[in-house]
Amino acid sequence: MTTSTCSRRKFLGAMGAAAGAWMARPAMSLARSTPAARVAVGTCHEYGPEVLETLSSMFDQLGGLEGLVRGKTVAIKLNLTGLATDRLGYLPAEITHWVHPEVIGATVHLLGQAGAQRIRLLESPLVTTEPLEEFMLQANWEPRDFLGAASRVEFENTNYLGYGKEYSRFWVPGGGLMFKGYDLNHSYEDCDVFVSLAKLKEHVTAGVTLSMKNCFGITPCTIYGDGAPVDEPSLTPRGGRGPFHEMNRLPSKSAPPIVNANAPKDAGYSVPRVVADLVAARPVHLAVIDGIHSMAGGEGPWCDHVRHVQPGLLVAGTNCVATDAVCTALMGFDPMADRGAPPFETCDSTLRLAEQLGVGSRDLNQIEVVGTPIAKARFNFRSA
Amino acid sequence: MNLDKNWLPMKWPCGPLELARRNKAGSVKPDLKEALEAWERPSALELLKGTPINCLIVDWAAGVREDLDQQQALKPLLEAGGRLGLSFVGRVAVKEDTGAAVAAARAAGLRAVMLDDTSGQSFALPAILQFPRDKVAWENASTIFSSTENVWPGLNLETMHGDTAVAGPTGIPWVNSNAWFALLAAELAPGKTLWLDVDPPDASTAAHPADYALAIADSRAYGSQWIISLDDNLRAALQKGNVQAKSIWEKICQTLAFCESHREWQRFQSQGVLAVVSDFRGDNAYFSGEVLNLLNRRQVQFRIIERSTSLPALAHGLKAILWLDKQVPGAEQHSQLLTFARQGGLVVAGAYWGPAGVQPTKKDPSLQYNMYNVGKGQIAVAEEGFNDPYQVAVDTHLLVSRRNDLVRLYNSETTNCHSSGEFTSPHHGRRLVQVLNYSSDPADSVTLWVNARVASARLWQPGTKVAPTLQGVAASPGTDFGLPRLSVYCALEFEGTNL
Repeated sequence: MTTSTCSRRKFLGAMGAAAGAWMARPAMSLARSTPAARVAVGTCHEYGPEVLETLSSMFDQLGGLEGLVRGKTVAIKLNLTGLATDRLGYLPAEITHWVHPEVIGATVHLLGQAGAQRIRLLESPLVTTEPLEEFMLQANWEPRDFLGAASRVEFENTNYLGYGKEYSRFWVPGGGLMFKGYDLNHSYEDCDVFVSLAKLKEHVTAGVTLSMKNCFGITPCTIYGDGAPVDEPSLTPRGGRGPFHEMNRLPSKSAPPIVNANAPKDAGYSVPRVVADLVAARPVHLAVIDGIHSMAGGEGPWCDHVRHVQPGLLVAGTNCVATDAVCTALMGFDPMADRGAPPFETCDSTLRLAEQLGVGSRDLNQIEVVGTPIAKARFNFRSA
Repeated sequence: MNLDKNWLPMKWPCGPLELARRNKAGSVKPDLKEALEAWERPSALELLKGTPINCLIVDWAAGVREDLDQQQALKPLLEAGGRLGLSFVGRVAVKEDTGAAVAAARAAGLRAVMLDDTSGQSFALPAILQFPRDKVAWENASTIFSSTENVWPGLNLETMHGDTAVAGPTGIPWVNSNAWFALLAAELAPGKTLWLDVDPPDASTAAHPADYALAIADSRAYGSQWIISLDDNLRAALQKGNVQAKSIWEKICQTLAFCESHREWQRFQSQGVLAVVSDFRGDNAYFSGEVLNLLNRRQVQFRIIERSTSLPALAHGLKAILWLDKQVPGAEQHSQLLTFARQGGLVVAGAYWGPAGVQPTKKDPSLQYNMYNVGKGQIAVAEEGFNDPYQVAVDTHLLVSRRNDLVRLYNSETTNCHSSGEFTSPHHGRRLVQVLNYSSDPADSVTLWVNARVASARLWQPGTKVAPTLQGVAASPGTDFGLPRLSVYCALEFEGTNL
C-alpha cells in the first residue's frame, strides 16, 4: 500500500482536478498511468445514528470533503434499481438492493456540512418519468428527510430529458470501448462534483455492482432503452436497458455511435465495457458504498438464488476503480481476477476495463486502505 | 313480491330454448347435450345442496316457437327447486307481448324476470333490468340490476406471449377487472345491487379451469355480485362425476360461502383521498370509466362523485378532486370547488375555470400541468386537456402524491387491493383491505402496506373458518403486513382508532 504524502485538502482537490482533466481531454491513451488512491473502510452493523458517525470519520480519513465540495454543486447518483415495489421476500428494498436512506441522508448532511452549495439526488427509475420523490415515496421513503439533511437539496429523474433543454454529450477518452460517447441528462454535466452512492452487491451480468456499475443507470432509456426510437430520443422512457445487454439494437442515432459494430452480442462483454466507458466519460469524484445490509447472489430480488446478507460495512473513496477494487476484495473476491474467475465467471472485469481506460487502479498494492483493514472486514458473499 | 337482495344467483342453462340456441350456434357436442338435458331434471339440483346458491336464472321466453316447450319443460325443475327453497328468475328476451311472458312466469312460480328493457311498463313480477355496461340507465336501474359486456377477470391474455406477460402501459402485466364498474354502480345506483353477467372463457376445461374464485372475489370485493356461470366443459364433467370438476365446484362454493359469511363487508364505504367527478354518461362514459379502471389498477383508492351531486368538503378526508368532464362546473359546484381549493385541497381539471389573473407555475417537467395557486390549495390544469385516460390516471396519482396513498402492495405485479371501512366516528371503526391476485399462479412474498399504524390485523381467507392474527411490522410511516402465499384472495381486517 502507498501512503499519501499530500494534505487531505490538496489530495481531494487534486482528485477533482484530475477528473476535470479527463473530461476535457477526449482522446487519451488507454495505457495512461493510473492515480494512486485512498479508500476508507468503516464497520457499521446497523442503520441508525452510527451511519453518520462512521461516514464522517471515513470522509475525514479520506482527507475531508470540504476541499472537494465547498461552494460546489454536487450530483449524487443513487442506486435504486428495479421497481419501487420489488422486494426480496418481505424485506424493504433498502435492506437488500437499494442504497439505504440513512446512508443517503448522512452523505447529504456531511456534504452540506462541508459547504456544498447545492446537492442534487439523481436516479433513472425504471420505465418512468415520474418525479424521483414519487418513486421514493412508492418505496415508502420520505424524500423530505433528504431536504432537511442539507440546505439546498434537489431531485431529478434522469431517465429522460428532465429539466434540461437538451441532452449533454460525454465523449469517452480514448474513443471508448463500446460507444464513442454517451448522451445523458443535463444533471450529469451541470454539477461540479459527481458522487456515486451505491450498494455492495454481486451482479449476475457484471460480477459485482458497486460505484461504477451504479453509473450504468445514468443512461436515459429514452435513448438507450428497449423501445427508444431509431432516430431521436423519445419523450418518455420505453423499456429498460436491455440493448446494452443483448446488443440487439443500437441507441437512437442522435447519440454517439458504437465503436465496433461487430462486437459480440454477449452481456458479459458489453455491460462491463459500457460501465467502464461511462466512468471514464463522466468521472466519479466520490464513491460511497453501502454494505451494511445487502443481498448476495445477484443485484435484485428478480435474480435467482439471492439472499439477504449483513456485511456491516461502509466503504468510500475518491477513485471509483480503487474503491470498487477494495469492495470486491471485501466481498471475498480477487479484484485482479478476470473473465472465468469469481466474481467474473461469465463476464469481463469492469475493474480491469476501467483501469485500462486510465480511470484508476484495481491493484490493492496501489491503494491505501484506511480505517478497518480488508482482512478484518472481509465478508465472503459466496459463502455467506 | 320483491327482488331479494340476499339472492345469490347462478345461471342454470337447460331446456329446449338453450338447446335451440346452441343448435343455431352449432355448438352442441354430445357431452353438452347430455349435460343440458340432465340440468333440466330436478335431480340436478342436488348439486346445490349445502351451497349458498339460492337463485337460479333460467331462460323463459325468447320470442321463438320453443318458448312454450321451455316453459313446460321447466315445470318439474321449478317445483323441485321451490321445495328446496330456491328462487327462479326467468330470462325474458321478447320483442312483443312481454307482459304475457311475465304473467306465465308468475303463474309458473318464478320470483322475478330479467329483462333488457321495460320501456316503463309494469309487470306481474318484479324485473331485474339488464343493460350493456356502457348503456346503463342508472336512474331506472331496478333494486337488483345486471350488466352485460363485462370482462372475465384475470391477466389479459391478449398481452401474453406464451408464458410471458407483456407489460401494459403501466409497466406491469395488464389485468382485466370489473372492479371500477362495481364501484361506479355503487355510486350511481346507491342501495341497489349489481349482478355482473359474464361467462367464463370457452377455453376453460376441468383440467385447466377458468378462475372462478377470482370472478367471485373480483365482484364481491368491490360490492357487486357475479352471476355464477359454469363453462360447458365443467358442466359436462360435473355431470359425469369427474373428480377434478368436483374439486373446482367445491372451491367455487367455498369462496361463495366465505363471501356470504361476510356480507356485512358489502356495506363498507370505499376509502379514498381522491374524489373522481363526472356524469359518467354519454360521451363521458368511456373516458371516465377507463380513468376509474386505471386508477384502480394503480391501487389508487378513490371515491366516485356523480357530477350533479353536491361535492364533498375537504373535511371529509378528501385531499383532491378530479373533475373529468369537459363541461365546466355549474355555479354551485364552481363555488364548492374553489372553496375546496382555498381550504388547501387540490383540484385536477382539463381546463381552467378558476379565478382570473392567477399566473400558473409548473410542478415537474414530467407533469404537463399548469398549477394555479388558489388560497391554500391549487388547481392543476392539464396543458393540453384530458386526452388519454392512462395519462390522466398516472398524472392524477402523482399530483395527489403517493404520500397520500392509503395502501400499497409490494411484489405485486399481478395483485390489487381495495380499502373500505365502516366508521362509528371519524377516528374509530373497522377497516378492511381486500387483496386479490389476478394471476393463475399464486403470488408469493406480497407485502401489504397500510398508511395507519396498527399492531395487527385479522387475516381472512376462503376456506378457513377462523381468522388468525397477522402481526404488522412498523414502517415509517404506516405498517407492513407480510401476506401468506396468495392464491386468489385474502382480506385484512383492522379494528380500532386512527385507521
